[in-house]
Amino acid sequence: MIEIDNLSVTFQASGRVVRAVENVSLSVAEQESFGLVGESGSGKSTILRAICGLAPISGGSIKIDGKPVTPQTKAFARQVQMVFQDPYASLHPRHTIDSVLSEPLAIHGIKNTDTRIEQALTDVGLPPAFRFRFPHQLSGGQRQRVAIARALMLEPRILLLDEPTSALDASVQAETLNLLTRLRETRGLTFLMVSHDLAVIDHMCDRILVMQHGKAVETLTREALAAAEMTTDYARALFTASADRMLA
Amino acid sequence: MTLLSVENLRVTFDTETGPVQAVRGVSFSLGRERLGIVGESGSGKTMTGRSVLRLIRPPGRIEADAMVFDGQDLMRLPEPQMRALRGRRIAMVMQDPKFSLNPVMKVGAQLTEGLRQRDRMSAKEARTKALAALEAVQIRDPERVMEAWPHELSGGMGQRVMIAMMLIPEPDLLIADEPTSALDVTVQAEVLSILDNLVKTRGMGLIFISHDLRLVSRFCDRVLVMYKGRVVEELAARDLMQARHPYTQGLLNCLPRIGGPRTPLPALDRSAAWAKE
Repeated sequence: MIEIDNLSVTFQASGRVVRAVENVSLSVAEQESFGLVGESGSGKSTILRAICGLAPISGGSIKIDGKPVTPQTKAFARQVQMVFQDPYASLHPRHTIDSVLSEPLAIHGIKNTDTRIEQALTDVGLPPAFRFRFPHQLSGGQRQRVAIARALMLEPRILLLDEPTSALDASVQAETLNLLTRLRETRGLTFLMVSHDLAVIDHMCDRILVMQHGKAVETLTREALAAAEMTTDYARALFTASADRMLA
Repeated sequence: MTLLSVENLRVTFDTETGPVQAVRGVSFSLGRERLGIVGESGSGKTMTGRSVLRLIRPPGRIEADAMVFDGQDLMRLPEPQMRALRGRRIAMVMQDPKFSLNPVMKVGAQLTEGLRQRDRMSAKEARTKALAALEAVQIRDPERVMEAWPHELSGGMGQRVMIAMMLIPEPDLLIADEPTSALDVTVQAEVLSILDNLVKTRGMGLIFISHDLRLVSRFCDRVLVMYKGRVVEELAARDLMQARHPYTQGLLNCLPRIGGPRTPLPALDRSAAWAKE
């Protein structure tokens, strides 16, 4: 469904050239959940941003359903949505939850806003009374639920998840991961998920790509990860550093 | 030897709808060791840390039967003496470099400010000391970082700058509030070994506040588990995985594990008797 071929992303700032992603290829099947892991600066978030047209692509191609992506069009927004890392930064502080959720509907000319917003809040496990609250009246976990609800307003088929739980407590992380799993099952979504936590990726994803310094290191299936069947040193080092996240 | 002892600490915020107790009767003592405080957000762990420095602004109030640091009762100490303790004897690394560094001051100026003001050091001397401190926290290009603005630093760099700043006066007690939550596993290990080294070689006491149970069980000597402003369990860090209290067990169980089942993760049970008043 998502095909990324030889993608490179290069940033240029005040004479410095930063190659954030270099020749990375990956493909995600329909309804698959694919994970990207690596340290910060390894380029994993940049790949998600490149898909949405938020990063300068300097080479390679990104295709969805065989067609090159057209970010920042209405058709693209109906197909692909993103959930960002920090729910404290990704919701407008002066917009109510109602206006956050109704904006995509207004842009796309979708009717019966009221029922859709109430349904969206119920789907992510928030009481409908939250509709007229501001983000600062919500906890971190509740805000991330709002961010997920917003991403689902246009009923996309693909969700790009950029560290969706790393700003949350362990107990809230568990609830959010359960919510994402349930939504994927009921709606048949395709996930492309970024995390630095191997245990989270393992819980959520069927296949993972390990990245380092903007390059792809190794693709692993979930079974290979659990059985420690990685072939590269870096993937093994990452696995060893996560030893306390193993099933005891 | 006890460096700090706290008895029956309470932090209350008077709000329009009545008093809210953020910390409710916390007691602990600390030697020259690594004490971890874990709990979810809102459990009062940060408030406990800030209380030791009396850094809670009105409408918040701090009450305690006793809070003794190195023979001095922190509850009775007049403000000028308290100021003399802050930074020099007891230092705190705040949680978020984005909000805790001054955004309109270069890193170098922030690092040397204390040395110039408090220790009356010459600009040159202060600069040398600041550079050494940055090197101590494994910043590769300290000269460049000294000239940088806080927004030009990554989260990990910012956090290391804050640690460097707190370590310059060589405090006896360091309160570190989520000092590594913005860092990668690899950088995290470096920062922890810096802190560890200070505890071992200089005999510093460390209060390590974190929501990461695995990290605390690996790094600390003793752990306090907090829930709703109370300490629900105190245990040796190495025994954390065998915790008895249902809250601690619940926190451990909701973590996903590599190779674990795909069933929904168990949610934390907040309905049990212990979660009520």
